[in-house]
Amino acid sequence: MDLARSSALHARARAFVASFERAEGAPEPFDRLACDLARYQAEHVAPYARLLRARGTDAGTFEDAARLPAVPTDAFKHTRVAAFDPSLEQALFRTSGTTIGARGAHAMRDVATYDAAALAFGRRWLARDLVGETPVLVLGPSPSRAPDSSLMHMCARFVEAWGPAAEASRAFLVEDDVIDVAAFDERVARAVSDGQPVVVLATSFALVHFLDGMDDLVFPLPEGSRVMQTGGFKGKSREVEAAALRAEIARVFAIPERAVVAEYGMTELSSQFYERVLFDADAPHGHYAEPTWARVVPVDPETLEPLPEGEVGLAKVIDLMNVDSAVSVLTQDRVRRVAGGFELLGRAPGAPPRGCSIAIDEMLGRRGPS
Amino acid sequence: MKDAAPRASVDELFAIVDAARALVSGASSRAALVPSLVRSTGLSREGVELALTEHLELDATAEELTRLRDAVTPTSRVAVILSSNVFVGALRAVVLARAASARVMVRPSRREPEFARALVTALEARGVAGITLEEALDVARVPDGEIHLYGRDETIADVRARASVPVRGHGAGLGIAVVGPGAPAEVSAAALARDIVAFDQRGCLSPRVAFVVGERHAADVARALHAELSRLEAVVPRGALTAAERADIVRYVETMSCAGEVSLGPTHALGLARAAEPFMTLPPPGRVLHIAAVDRFEDVPLHARPLTRALTTIGAAPSELGRVTEIARELGARARIAELGAMQRPRLDGPVDLRGDDALRDI
Repeated sequence: MDLARSSALHARARAFVASFERAEGAPEPFDRLACDLARYQAEHVAPYARLLRARGTDAGTFEDAARLPAVPTDAFKHTRVAAFDPSLEQALFRTSGTTIGARGAHAMRDVATYDAAALAFGRRWLARDLVGETPVLVLGPSPSRAPDSSLMHMCARFVEAWGPAAEASRAFLVEDDVIDVAAFDERVARAVSDGQPVVVLATSFALVHFLDGMDDLVFPLPEGSRVMQTGGFKGKSREVEAAALRAEIARVFAIPERAVVAEYGMTELSSQFYERVLFDADAPHGHYAEPTWARVVPVDPETLEPLPEGEVGLAKVIDLMNVDSAVSVLTQDRVRRVAGGFELLGRAPGAPPRGCSIAIDEMLGRRGPS
Repeated sequence: MKDAAPRASVDELFAIVDAARALVSGASSRAALVPSLVRSTGLSREGVELALTEHLELDATAEELTRLRDAVTPTSRVAVILSSNVFVGALRAVVLARAASARVMVRPSRREPEFARALVTALEARGVAGITLEEALDVARVPDGEIHLYGRDETIADVRARASVPVRGHGAGLGIAVVGPGAPAEVSAAALARDIVAFDQRGCLSPRVAFVVGERHAADVARALHAELSRLEAVVPRGALTAAERADIVRYVETMSCAGEVSLGPTHALGLARAAEPFMTLPPPGRVLHIAAVDRFEDVPLHARPLTRALTTIGAAPSELGRVTEIARELGARARIAELGAMQRPRLDGPVDLRGDDALRDI
């Protein structure tokens, strides 16, 4: 690897975050940094080099970030997508669950870049109005229990940055797959008596689990509280439709539906996207804001070319924070560009199988969104 | 068991095979059948002709039909639901059903009904009694006997929930090939290509993954297979793919371009995972094969294990069938063991699917 070059690229990436936080324009054109990252990765990330070779693409011709060849998220399951030796890893995040043979892995050499971006954009769309310390409660295991979860890593950064230091160690409310409802209740009760809102961070799966245990009861959060919800979900014995889940979350927690904010992220990315609903009264659920350092480009699923404005395609994410891995990542989610960002339309299903040959989703026993 | 009819005679089962033979060998009946099969299956005309010529079990022997008959439990009535299958599967399904009962109702697949309809019509025309078309069959109203269902796991579960009689389900599946060091690359590739081309890999016996022992051997097999599939494209063109199928193939090709190597033809794709970083993934059908190089035969079960539940057949060279039988045993897979080139030509000696409790046999 080229450590000096990597460090310089990290600095350029973090400059985007710094200028965002100062409400300034981007420090340089997005496309320029994206293409520089792609050229660096073409030299130092073996899978990306292989992809370019297979396509007959010369990295020297890169000019348009939207047209950068993308590493499919599936590739992270089968090969190391990293520009550096494992001995230099600061973090190794893995996708959840098991698939045929492997979980996706995303190694990071400099986690500070990830952290800076996550905090800046998370604050903008979850917490920009909060004053002083605000309790952050996580319906998930602590990072020490889930060290390979990028989501729990991010939640831990939010806990440290926004919440009281003394309570940081008690912010994570799941252990051995069981939600500590009593602790949750105690923390919320204290916030109520202090007149403080809380920020609840949770996977959709954990929320469904929590709601299943509530029946018709309510669990009111203090006024001004908000819930960040992320990930696909499946109830213990049922699937849960997104709008229905959101309505139920709002009902049980006694908060407006617009205070239920979905986050879109994945292990293979360093950046996250948030629904605009908490701070943009005109934005509907399903519409996500993009940071200045990441773009979602809808592409044709067959040609992988960017689609005209307004058309639905697969999400190709150009993520400037993925300095040492893949600046261009092809997901399996369907999106469309909208004012202010993009609309998330759910996972692209595999082709309905014909004949009696099994499809991969059947093999995995998956149904619905992941 | 309500009024189980006497077991079918082997002659009665031969009558079904004979009707199928007459259907596909008669010039006018075949000429009428092929275009409708092209439309309903999405296979090319040549693909349909190949299926009728090579993959319809018209050469069953008396011994095989006797084994088939003796393995099936008699019952009062059989409702055959062909919700998802390769079209030639209707013949085996009807033979199995008739072996179990003198009263057989056939509900063809809504997506690919043509062959089943033509077969049952041909049976009726030849005076073969007791086998009828019931296109509006309601599984909940089958009063007795049992249901033989060829479909996806979800469909099987749904029918089981609604039916009041036992349901024997044959679910979706796949095949794998194992090519050891004793199997010559060119010969193995030529045979495997025939297995891949049949039904455009949409059969439950279709090989979707090949494990090849030795990295160089895997590269040789991939090279030979690429050449053979390219040659066969002109002989048996691939049928139409949907946009979603094409997108799935693109995704697999892009992934393998990152994680391994790809040999790409106009209508086929081979992904090769090297022995240094062996991995197994399931590519989409449509003449796409994942080749995983392994160092030793003993490594195959480790990589094949995630596929065990779906495994219906394992193909190998004649000299390596014994080793592959051991692999199946180690996996706990109740799969057919077949020679390469014959993976999609199982003998008419019982159900195609030997897996688990859903096998159509008396356990």
